[in-house]
Amino acid sequence: MRLSARFPALRLSSVWRRWSLWASLVVLVFAVLGTLVWLAGRYEASQVQGKLERDTADAIGDIRAALTRNVQGLQALQASSPTPSSWTIEAASLLREHREFMRIEWRDASLAILAQVDTPYRAPVFERLGRDNAQSDVALACATARRLSGPAYSSSYFLPQPDGLGLEVIELCLPQVTAGRLSGYLLATYSLQEILADLVGQQLTRSQEVSFTEADGTRLALHGSARRGSRVFTAQQLLDLPGNTLVLRMDSWRGAPDLFPNVLTALVTAMSIALVSVLVLLVKDSRRRLRAERNLADALAFRKAMEDSLVTGLRARDLQGRISYVNPAFCQMVGFTAEELLGHGTPAPYWPPELADEYHQRQAVRLAGHLPPREGFESVFMRKDGSRFPVLIIEAPLINAQGLQTGWMSAFLDISEQRRVEELSRASQERLQATARLATVGEMASLLSHELNQPLAAISSYATGSLNLMQGASAPDPRLRDLAMAMRRIAEQAERAGKVIKSVHDFVRRRDQAREAVEPQALIDAIMPLVSLQARKLAVRVQTRLAEGLAPVLCDRTMVEQVLLNLSRNAMQAMDQAELTERLLVLQVRDAASNERQRWLEFSVADRGAGIPDEVARQLFTPFFTTKAEGMGLGLSLCRTVIEQHGGVLWFEPKQPAGTIFKFTLPVDPSRHGTHA
Amino acid sequence: MEPTLDATVFIVDDDASVREALAWLLRSRRLLSECYDSAEAFGRLLNRGFTPRQPCCLLLDVRMPGMSGLALFNQLIERGLQAVMPVIFLTGHADVPTAVDAVKRGAFDFCEKPFSDNALVDRIEQALQRSAEVLAASREKLGLQGRLAELTERERDVMRLVVEGLPNKLIADQLDISVRTVEVHRARVFDKMNVKSAVELANLLRNL
Repeated sequence: MRLSARFPALRLSSVWRRWSLWASLVVLVFAVLGTLVWLAGRYEASQVQGKLERDTADAIGDIRAALTRNVQGLQALQASSPTPSSWTIEAASLLREHREFMRIEWRDASLAILAQVDTPYRAPVFERLGRDNAQSDVALACATARRLSGPAYSSSYFLPQPDGLGLEVIELCLPQVTAGRLSGYLLATYSLQEILADLVGQQLTRSQEVSFTEADGTRLALHGSARRGSRVFTAQQLLDLPGNTLVLRMDSWRGAPDLFPNVLTALVTAMSIALVSVLVLLVKDSRRRLRAERNLADALAFRKAMEDSLVTGLRARDLQGRISYVNPAFCQMVGFTAEELLGHGTPAPYWPPELADEYHQRQAVRLAGHLPPREGFESVFMRKDGSRFPVLIIEAPLINAQGLQTGWMSAFLDISEQRRVEELSRASQERLQATARLATVGEMASLLSHELNQPLAAISSYATGSLNLMQGASAPDPRLRDLAMAMRRIAEQAERAGKVIKSVHDFVRRRDQAREAVEPQALIDAIMPLVSLQARKLAVRVQTRLAEGLAPVLCDRTMVEQVLLNLSRNAMQAMDQAELTERLLVLQVRDAASNERQRWLEFSVADRGAGIPDEVARQLFTPFFTTKAEGMGLGLSLCRTVIEQHGGVLWFEPKQPAGTIFKFTLPVDPSRHGTHA
Repeated sequence: MEPTLDATVFIVDDDASVREALAWLLRSRRLLSECYDSAEAFGRLLNRGFTPRQPCCLLLDVRMPGMSGLALFNQLIERGLQAVMPVIFLTGHADVPTAVDAVKRGAFDFCEKPFSDNALVDRIEQALQRSAEVLAASREKLGLQGRLAELTERERDVMRLVVEGLPNKLIADQLDISVRTVEVHRARVFDKMNVKSAVELANLLRNL
């Protein structure tokens, strides 16, 4: 009851909670996954960025070192106090060795060109624009060089070429100081493009793009593969030169487009996938589990409803004799609550104290493994209020799923009601039997008085007759007088004997006049239990046929019951023959032919026996005549007496096709006479 | 020891010694008796068309094997013989209520066994007396009917008017005969009916 009322609400909230739990779990898992992938990616990016920064620094280092070496190479041109022609040869060889130089010039202190050599690797670069256009840059650089007393660089400028393209160049001015006096300048024109191509390590430019840019990001020169990806890493470093500062920028796109940039991410991803699949499996499993749980709960509720509806008490005990389960019927039976009983060992609270020892022994036998009888055994239990009641116990071993015995399961039936009914039936049987004995004694007294009264009447008659004759004699003979006195004494003694018999008879028949109005149905009902008992024993079918609206009869109820019972028993015994298949006893009551003064009911008891032979029929009502081995021969005689005392008649006739029918009449209660037409 | 009365006492009892003792007792009081050992035996007598011509009475035992005394009494009632043959029931103690009931239905008396014998015989004599009276009455009635049958039709007419108390003159007018003729008829009716006056004649006819 409590469970089912709470069930829908409970179910709804639990479903809601379960789903929200699952949702948050999924969200969490994906969040963790995303974070992991993101973090891994970021880590990867920072690795790439760091490497790029280092590469840029390396490139700066390379360029700086090469430029310094170049300055030394240029200074070496002047070391041997060259003539312009010899300088030209040496300068040309220098140009062949270093592709980055576009042109080397030897100028005097006033910047006039003394000698000049162009690079052999390309057309003269100043051909299109003219050297004079760059004079300002040259002068600026040389001024800086003079001031620094060392090499100085000009800012870069664009040098268009005859082929339509152009190149960004930078001037190096190297002052010539001889004996503390400025004697001239060496001017070298660097191509920024070639600096990147020749002075930066090949391994750095293989997968990266190296470029010089201005501060605002304008690209001045570029070297390296021109691939472009979705994501580009960029590092910039300043190349600080005397007189000029350049920005070296390095772009890398290595690894940027990959979703799983490295093993870590791959691992994390794989584990995440595994996690999610485990999660899915878990969900499936939990679904199945849930379904099984629900089925189990249903089965449990079913079982509980079943147990609650039982009137049979159920109790389970473990092998130590402790109560592990009781159902409501059992609790109701003994009056204890389940809480009071559960876990209770011996002696159980419902054992009557005086029988506890016996029950202990019984339990010991049970625990030793002896099976109780399958049909159960009877015992006595005690209710909480101390009252005892009989129970029928049926026990069976309790076997668990592993096939091991874990205790005993017992069913209890309260048989006190059954006992009470049995008691009642026995009491009514005893009452009828007592009445039967009383009636027999009465009948015997009646018979005895009749049988004794006959000879007494004869004695009395003879005595009186004799006296009559003596009075007729004339002479007063003294012997005759004595004789007359003796005759009178005889008559007196006979009368006295008659009175004694009468008093005994009256004592036994005191209840003769106990007449009451009784419904015919009540008479039949009263004997039915005893008749059915014998009918079952002799396999006789019993039918009662009562007409509608029968009036009550005026009778001595117990005596008439005896008559009906006697006749029914005779009838059933008459059918107790092996060859008889149709054993039917019919008890019938109907209105009998009546005169105007009194109405009568006719009762009949019919059997399907062999009938009554003529020689038996003649003596049937004679007292002490019987055909039964154990009979007294008073039954029918008694019946007839009883019926005649009621003014009725008892007779019998053969029944077609077989058997005998005994009939008797009883008067209808006169007070009901008018009401029943 | 001759019987004083020309009367018969019928005894019906299944016990021979009782029958013989009663018969002997009655003989000691000079009464004739006739014994039957069962109700059926007496019933056969009745069935042969027996009708008592002399005073008689019936001593009937209530309880007998076979047909009971009560059943026999019912037969007597059916044949209308209970008046001319008064019935005295002989009963044991057990049968007293039955016997009382029988007396209410017209039995003469009942007597408990063992009886106070002379008292019983006294009752028997009274019963015989009653029987004699009933017989006499019925005989008188028979005689009267015989005498009436002897009257001629005219005499019967005259007699009817005489009994109504009409004077001769009016009778003569009604019957359209002469007063003289009426007187002759009247004298003849009185003679045949053996009466002396018209009042006596009226009384006689009222009994019819």
